[in-house]
Amino acid sequence: MEQGATLSPPAGPWVHPPLSPPDLAPSRPLYDGKLSEIYAIYLRHLVLMLITLGWSRFWGRTRVRRYLWSHMSIFGDRFEYRGRAVELLIGFVLVLAILALWGGGIWLFVKVALDDKWPAHFGLLDAFYLSVVLIGFPLSFVGQYAGLRYRLSRTRWRAIRWSLASSAWRYGGLATFLTFANVVTGQLLTPLVSVNLARPRLANVGLGNGRFEFAGRAGDIYGRYVGYYFLNILAWIVVLVLCIAIAGHFIGETVGSADDLLKLFAQPSLRTILLAVAAAFGLYLLFSLLILPLRCWWQAYLLRYLVSHTRYRNVLFATSISTRQMWGFLVLNYLIVVLSLGLGWPWVIHRTLKLIASELWIYGTPDGARIEQSQARVPRFGEGLLDMFDVTGI
Amino acid sequence: MTAQARFYDGRTAEAQEVDFRATAGELVILRPGDAGVVARWPVAELRVLGDVQHEAVPLVACAGSDARLVIADPERRRQLAAALPVLAKLAEAPPFVARRIALYGASLALLVGCLWAGIDLGAERIAPLVPFSWQQRLGESVLNDITDDKEMCDGTRGLEAINRLANRLAKVGGYDHEVSVYIVQGGPLNAFTLPGGIIVFYSDLIERARDGSEVAGVLAHELGHVLDHDSMKGLARQYGVELLLKLVTGGYSDSMGTLSSGGSLLYAQRNGRAAERAADATGVGLLEKEGLRADGVAGFFERLLKDGKPDAAEAAGIWSSHPPTRERIEATKRPATGKEPFTTAQWRALRAVCE
Repeated sequence: MEQGATLSPPAGPWVHPPLSPPDLAPSRPLYDGKLSEIYAIYLRHLVLMLITLGWSRFWGRTRVRRYLWSHMSIFGDRFEYRGRAVELLIGFVLVLAILALWGGGIWLFVKVALDDKWPAHFGLLDAFYLSVVLIGFPLSFVGQYAGLRYRLSRTRWRAIRWSLASSAWRYGGLATFLTFANVVTGQLLTPLVSVNLARPRLANVGLGNGRFEFAGRAGDIYGRYVGYYFLNILAWIVVLVLCIAIAGHFIGETVGSADDLLKLFAQPSLRTILLAVAAAFGLYLLFSLLILPLRCWWQAYLLRYLVSHTRYRNVLFATSISTRQMWGFLVLNYLIVVLSLGLGWPWVIHRTLKLIASELWIYGTPDGARIEQSQARVPRFGEGLLDMFDVTGI
Repeated sequence: MTAQARFYDGRTAEAQEVDFRATAGELVILRPGDAGVVARWPVAELRVLGDVQHEAVPLVACAGSDARLVIADPERRRQLAAALPVLAKLAEAPPFVARRIALYGASLALLVGCLWAGIDLGAERIAPLVPFSWQQRLGESVLNDITDDKEMCDGTRGLEAINRLANRLAKVGGYDHEVSVYIVQGGPLNAFTLPGGIIVFYSDLIERARDGSEVAGVLAHELGHVLDHDSMKGLARQYGVELLLKLVTGGYSDSMGTLSSGGSLLYAQRNGRAAERAADATGVGLLEKEGLRADGVAGFFERLLKDGKPDAAEAAGIWSSHPPTRERIEATKRPATGKEPFTTAQWRALRAVCE
């Protein structure tokens, strides 16, 4: 080797180029809503619902959203909800009109194509209902995505609009296929379904001209899911065996026979009612001790995974939500709504936003100057499909 | 007047700390350091986005622009509103929450009570006003659904006999439309009424009856339901209660829907028991008015109990749509006097209606 071919050392001592450490200062959203204020809005909404037989729901929903969005902030800047109730109303009426056209199409098909030769035992109305049920399942997914797009398009932060790209129909097709496949395979595809349905809902979200990114892969979470899956089966078997043993023992000791039990419930005394409540509570306790913690453990893990694999430019996200917190979110919230006959719903929303504010960590600060207002078109109406084919919340 | 606020220009997500100054013709937004002008918004184009009831901080905006001015301090908002009346909404005081909750809570309770009473009253008054052709169409549609996979008995003379008696009794009761009786082959031991004057019998009931008076007793009971429009009233009540519960629970949750269905079922059953008692009384009354034997229905029930058939209504208690059988026997017990409702030939034809 020639001496001259060797690289000559630098003249002075070599210095690393200065690395600017990435700005990963942590922060959390701030929620400063008050439960009493949400109740004041919600009770007014219920009163108007009764007076208008439900047609005021679009206005009620919009008012609650305005309150919730405005009381949530990140980096000291509040969110803003600018949706209008009339847009929701028009969306709903449009879907009603489309359904009417669909019904008319079926009628025309029977009259013209089938020449009125329709099976007598299967009425025209039956055909309409069946078709609506069949299309309702995929349409509820389409509605969920389109509804999310509408809500994001009406949401602003620092006056910049949020958005959701891609087709709601594509999402509807994907969600229908994956859900069906998951059912057929005995829920073994759950990680695949969860990640692949979360991806469009996260990676297509935009704030101004910037887009969120999602780097999750089903393979990362399969191992833990398989463990959960078989533990869950085992827990169900244990719960069922325990339930049968306890119920059999209880009936044998205190009631006598199944006929006597039926008689007791035909004319229930206060004691019978109290016993039934105690038994239901006991069964729920058993269920909540063995089954629900497992489910909450999985859901908390899944949420932590999804959040930590999402980013917006230089801003990263993370959550340390625990199994206990997930139990409060999934189970306690459900019980609050059911046991309060729906009146606890504002409390549930309030609890949920407080949970998000305390458990969502944001690392880094967005460069506001580089986030420009998006010029993309926004939907003119919203949530009609969601209102028709899905149980809608706020 | 100068004060601090936050400004978003609507083009980028940059937040600027700014001062603002209100003049007679415009709102000037300034950089705090060098007093450089950030934006000048004509007063005529100023808008307040939102209100203090819903928004934590109502925003100030300029028509046709995405830009926003956020004044977090309520006192400064009040000062600006005082200077520019077009922004008066900024100065509104937050409403008294406790008073609003009490007002809306009381209104809600009052409305639920009124609507509950209204459903009861409305079902009673409105159901009979539904055009008969609609009732008939509805009844026929339900009949088709129920009898879809069943054999129908079509013995002409038997059907003629029971239909003739039904229409004769209906006329006595002042019913202006035709009543149609159908007989389904097999069990259970039952008969029921559908909207549009449709009565359905199961042939097991006819076979089990000792004589024509027992079938006539059951028929007269069903006519009681027809005359009182009970099936339409039941539908109206059930729909009304479900709607009410859905509205009260916010209509947000499936679980609420399930609870609503349970509640409306109990409510319907309570009304069902009242309607059954009334139909028993009407049925016996119709037979007596026509001079026919009215002991049939009590006799039929008594015999069933003696044969060891358990009293399902008593067993089901509050969940039953019918009063306990013993109570019904006591209420409908009549002496075995009066004419036979069917001639011997008619009764024979009715017994053979499915052959």
